[in-house]
Amino acid sequence: MNRISVGARVGGAVKALATGLGLTWRVMFRRKVTVKYPIERLPVSNRFHGLLALPIDPETGRDLCIICFQCERVCPSRCIHIEAQGKGKERVLTRFDIEMDKCQYCAFCVEVCPTEAIVFVPHYESSTFDRSTLLYNLDELHRAAPKEPIATGIIGGRHRHNGRNGGTPAVAAAPPRADGARNGGSSASSPHGDRAAAAGSSSSVGPRQ
Amino acid sequence: MALRTEELMLNMGPQHPSTHGVLRLVVTLDGENVVDVKPDIGYLHSSVEKMMEYRLYVQNVSLVDRGMDYLTAMQNEQVYCLAVERLAGIEVPDRARYLRVLFDELQRLASHLVWLGTWGIDLGATTVFLWCFREREMILDLFEKVTGGRLHHAYFRIGGVYIDPPPGWTDEVKKFLDYFILRVAEYDKLLTANPIFLARTKGVGVINRQDAIAMGASGPVGRASGIAMDVRKVEPYEVYDRMAFDVPVFTEGDCFARYQVRLEEMRQSVRIVRQALKELPAGEVRARVPMTMKAPRGEVYVRTESARGDLAIHLVSDGGEMPYRVKIRAPSFSNLYALTEMMRGWKIADVIAILGSIDIVLSDVDR
Repeated sequence: MNRISVGARVGGAVKALATGLGLTWRVMFRRKVTVKYPIERLPVSNRFHGLLALPIDPETGRDLCIICFQCERVCPSRCIHIEAQGKGKERVLTRFDIEMDKCQYCAFCVEVCPTEAIVFVPHYESSTFDRSTLLYNLDELHRAAPKEPIATGIIGGRHRHNGRNGGTPAVAAAPPRADGARNGGSSASSPHGDRAAAAGSSSSVGPRQ
Repeated sequence: MALRTEELMLNMGPQHPSTHGVLRLVVTLDGENVVDVKPDIGYLHSSVEKMMEYRLYVQNVSLVDRGMDYLTAMQNEQVYCLAVERLAGIEVPDRARYLRVLFDELQRLASHLVWLGTWGIDLGATTVFLWCFREREMILDLFEKVTGGRLHHAYFRIGGVYIDPPPGWTDEVKKFLDYFILRVAEYDKLLTANPIFLARTKGVGVINRQDAIAMGASGPVGRASGIAMDVRKVEPYEVYDRMAFDVPVFTEGDCFARYQVRLEEMRQSVRIVRQALKELPAGEVRARVPMTMKAPRGEVYVRTESARGDLAIHLVSDGGEMPYRVKIRAPSFSNLYALTEMMRGWKIADVIAILGSIDIVLSDVDR
């Protein structure tokens, strides 16, 4: 063991202290990485899985849902409940409940929906003190719907997939859609175009085998 | 008159902040020395293997996210999707395979950052915790922009991935990597030569190569003990065979070696992500797989390298829409076996350091 003189040790300590405090001083003027949450908010991405919502078709003023029950069937938590009345064109939704306390935000329902009738809204402040308020019915889901389509990228990917599996006749009948859908995956453009094309061919998307 | 002494049994956990979850350690102490440690697990058992038998193949993707190791959700999806694809003989498009590798490695970074941060806090270093979580938040933001989820993504699909990243995302990743590699150097500077850190970790919790193999240790724990085994190298899946990266192997087998392995793995992950970004081919991200797919009768065993080690899945199919039987080989579970061997003979204060160094996630241990 080599002995270090008291002077050198004090000198070393002072130097270490100065180095440490120097860093503290420098960091004090840096931009803060933390966010004071209720006052400031972070922006979330437009693909964020926040709340589920049912947008209304602006042209007809009705639901986009064609009552195919695909979302109800694919839901891993079985939290979607759909009931409908009527036959053919007159068929209307009478019940569309989503138990958001069961929902695991996997977006499979958004993926399988052939008409973009169920979408995710990037809203993340839906916690509540009362569990019963987490059962969203048709009206509440309509109200939660965004004014304009938000999660456009996801819809692009889903349509391509769906068009190639469920609706082979539709692809054959409407080649532009097949092309548009193929591009949709990489460029994620024109959600309205995709939506219109999908709505046109929606009749061919029947129940799964 | 001789002083009467006896061994003391001490319960650590299941709600102790340093057990990283709900692990109960029954520590037998002789004074301050650890005589024996018995890990008691099962507090976070979620029976994910049984639940998978009652869900469609596609639904399981969102289940393995949360039922298994919640810090490596992407890698859980990776091993599950790979198993189903091998069983059903599904070809994954090249772009999807590159994207998978990219996300696997980003997830490895995120997981190692959580480990380094929480271990730092276990050892009394608060700064490294804050720094690591700052960078992890950026990775989670990158995930959120693509998948919509921060921890539970449900991004991989059987036959590819859900969707292409949004335009401009790859540039953000590149920017992040350039920033991150400097931060890794900062962690290195903060810890590697830190005398307090060295005193707490160097030579502590040693497990030799033979014991590590006998206990089934894999991943960073095994590689710190000299087991040069990385599934990405020995059984390359996806496009790991096209990536140039090194597998750090140390022979000391102590806490410090485990730290060095993970730190080096972060650098290698950055390297892999950079290559994946550079070589990312254009094209489809998804093969043609129906939402309710059926796998043919048979069974498959697939191994991958998760952030904790050799993560494998044994999947048996009876030809139906759901798996017939699933068994998950969780790396944390095997690494936990090695814990007793590591801790025996050390002081009670080292228990925390050793436990933190094997990086267990109790959700992975219990499943």
